[in-house]
Amino acid sequence: MTEKKLKVVHYLNQFFGQVGTEDKADTGFMVKEGPVGPGLALHKELGDRAEVVATLICGDNYFSKNPEQAGEEGFTLIESYQPDLFFAGPAFEAGRYGISCGTICKTVGEKLGIPAITGMYEENAGMEMYRKDAFICKTGRSARDMNKSLQEMTRLAFRLLSGQKGGNLVSRENLPKPEEYAYFPRSILRNEYTEKTAAERSVDKLLSKIKGESFESEVVLPKFEKVEPPAPIRDPSTCEIALVSDGGLVPRGNPDGMSGRGNLRWTTYEIDDFLPEDFKSSDYEIAHTGYFPVEVLGNPSRLVPVDVMRDLVKEGKIGKLHPTFFSTSGNATVSRRCAEMGDEIGAEIKIRGIDAVIFTST
Amino acid sequence: MRLEIESIDIEDIRAGSKTYAQDHVLYINPKEVEELILKDNRIGSVDINLVYPGDRVRIVNLMDAVQPRCKIDQFEADFPGFVGRLRITGSGRTRSLRGVAVLVSNPDTKRKYSALLDMCGLAAELSRYGKMRNISIAPYIADGTEERDFEDAVKIAGLKTAVYLAAAAEGHPVDEVEVYDLDIPKLEGKPDVPRVAYYYQLYSPQHDHRGIPDPCFYGTDVRDLMPTIIHPNEVLDGGVVGHHTIRSLDTYTIQNHGVIKELYRRHGRDLIFAGVVCGVANIDPVTRKRKALMAANLIKNVLGADGVIVTKIHGGMPHVDIALVGEECEKLGVKTAVFTQPLISVGTLADTLLFNNEALDLIITVGATFERVKLPLEADRILGGTAETKVFLADPIEQHAGDPIIDMEEMLIAGVHDHLGGANIIVKEY
Repeated sequence: MTEKKLKVVHYLNQFFGQVGTEDKADTGFMVKEGPVGPGLALHKELGDRAEVVATLICGDNYFSKNPEQAGEEGFTLIESYQPDLFFAGPAFEAGRYGISCGTICKTVGEKLGIPAITGMYEENAGMEMYRKDAFICKTGRSARDMNKSLQEMTRLAFRLLSGQKGGNLVSRENLPKPEEYAYFPRSILRNEYTEKTAAERSVDKLLSKIKGESFESEVVLPKFEKVEPPAPIRDPSTCEIALVSDGGLVPRGNPDGMSGRGNLRWTTYEIDDFLPEDFKSSDYEIAHTGYFPVEVLGNPSRLVPVDVMRDLVKEGKIGKLHPTFFSTSGNATVSRRCAEMGDEIGAEIKIRGIDAVIFTST
Repeated sequence: MRLEIESIDIEDIRAGSKTYAQDHVLYINPKEVEELILKDNRIGSVDINLVYPGDRVRIVNLMDAVQPRCKIDQFEADFPGFVGRLRITGSGRTRSLRGVAVLVSNPDTKRKYSALLDMCGLAAELSRYGKMRNISIAPYIADGTEERDFEDAVKIAGLKTAVYLAAAAEGHPVDEVEVYDLDIPKLEGKPDVPRVAYYYQLYSPQHDHRGIPDPCFYGTDVRDLMPTIIHPNEVLDGGVVGHHTIRSLDTYTIQNHGVIKELYRRHGRDLIFAGVVCGVANIDPVTRKRKALMAANLIKNVLGADGVIVTKIHGGMPHVDIALVGEECEKLGVKTAVFTQPLISVGTLADTLLFNNEALDLIITVGATFERVKLPLEADRILGGTAETKVFLADPIEQHAGDPIIDMEEMLIAGVHDHLGGANIIVKEY
């Protein structure tokens, strides 16, 4: 008697889903029966045990504009197929695609409790954002690595489905070893049985250290970047000062699509239009789910101190308030992207010849 | 100092009318054990049970586990300050019974923490004691005895039972003799063989029950101990015992000290075992600094070590003390390997560090002892307490020994983890 084949649903973006390139990135969700594009290779890889019954496709922009909502929308389409297994991508180094693959794996994994697997290149922002919530196999930068990536993803999927108890873990959980199955660790720490006792390991490693040989610490120290504070400005009355905030202050309707959590964007607003003296609370919203926004909505100057700056300019204590406000939302955003945004905003501030910046956070 | 540990492998234990060992079977007269324990008038009564792997038994309120051992060639010399008269341990001959432990419960405990062991199911599988034949003793408090005084009595009852059982095995052929011979004053250097010392953090004051420290060192507590050089044999031979709770540490673990035994095993070949400095964790930073400086100085300038292994006692705060000892050693040019216990199960290993110093670049993860496992109730007998005995969990819920399933931090399952490096456990990122 042959076992019934396991049902697989596969997620792809518009490009790999063969809808179109960047011009089709705003396309919403669609479902095609059976495998599409890389799904054909995946289908082959699954062999007799499983088959791709449907492919879910969505445009990169459509998804990344509101990932959480898109994840839910995609999930309702997946759910109807009652899959045993879910794959997304792999996304390689494509950032928006990484986020959609991560989001949808997280949603499917949490709601259906089935293995949900994707693949990304290590620098993909989606990796840091979703590795805790999804199994993300390590891939190369580009689709040249497609076949190998799909093989790894399939191997991990079958290992997870095996229900094998982790005999190497004190807790006996079914967790494959990340290095053995080439996936990014999910930020879980577990006691594992080893051949050598802690005492034996410590003596071995200490002897290597004493002899000046290489040794491997069981905890690699975190590296903290040292940031030297700049010299203070000498005379504020001659300076032009800009305001930057990560509190998620945006015009009502959030036209630039800033995310409330895990946001990857920053934008600028002209202060005279955006924050006039006769502001109306109803003109704003807060794209930040990490704090209670009522006080800021009551008066945005509580977050971005435009009122005080205007007074100080009038009093001659400050030379000039820079007319542009730099806004972003910093809430559970991966630190790598935060640093990038800092570099981008910093470069813009330099070009504009601004003398000093006031950062306000929440 | 030369210590010979003569081990006898015990393959079975049986109740009998006389206590003796024959053909690897230890016969135990429970009546005699009871009489021995009841000689202490702080104890009103005692339950004694023999338990075996596979028994549907759950043992609760555990405060210690002890390997049966006695001195062969010295009189009243066992566990000095607790059982025997005060003297320095670590020389001569000691009989040791392998495959058997005395499991000591305090059914009257008022502590938040106490350990547990099932002789069947997952806990037995994870625990070294779950695979051994054990004597469970559970003394009850005598009227009028003060709580902390009674705890000391229970502790000593366990140690006395261990001595009594080992003494009764006299005449049984010895299966193995281990020699621990280290003449520190006459240690000879060898070219290219480094001198390695051991820093032993014995105790932390943060868990003192009712503000009183547990005695664990020649009959006394060590709260105010200055860094002190001891001979490693003193540790193996009963000079140091467990605290009044099992948190990945008990007397059995100390008697079989992982790091000390490993340093001995490599001594003369890969390294010269330069000796042991013991110390404690501290509450205030000035004391911490003073003792770290003193410890590092002893390790470098008295023991002449090139490297040191630094282990820690249970808890978060003691990480800071061992880090400071490590930093001061590294400043003096002594290379360090520092043990840590990750206290969280989420994040990266780097997130678990409670210190950050580039010199402390060799860290050994001895085990994440707060990790939890679920234990279904497979026992039909509960020893050392009742089905209503509270079982500690950090969450704000109350669970009891007789619940269908309990959530256990692994440090409270006797014989799973070992702060002293004897367990084959490492912490990894998944």
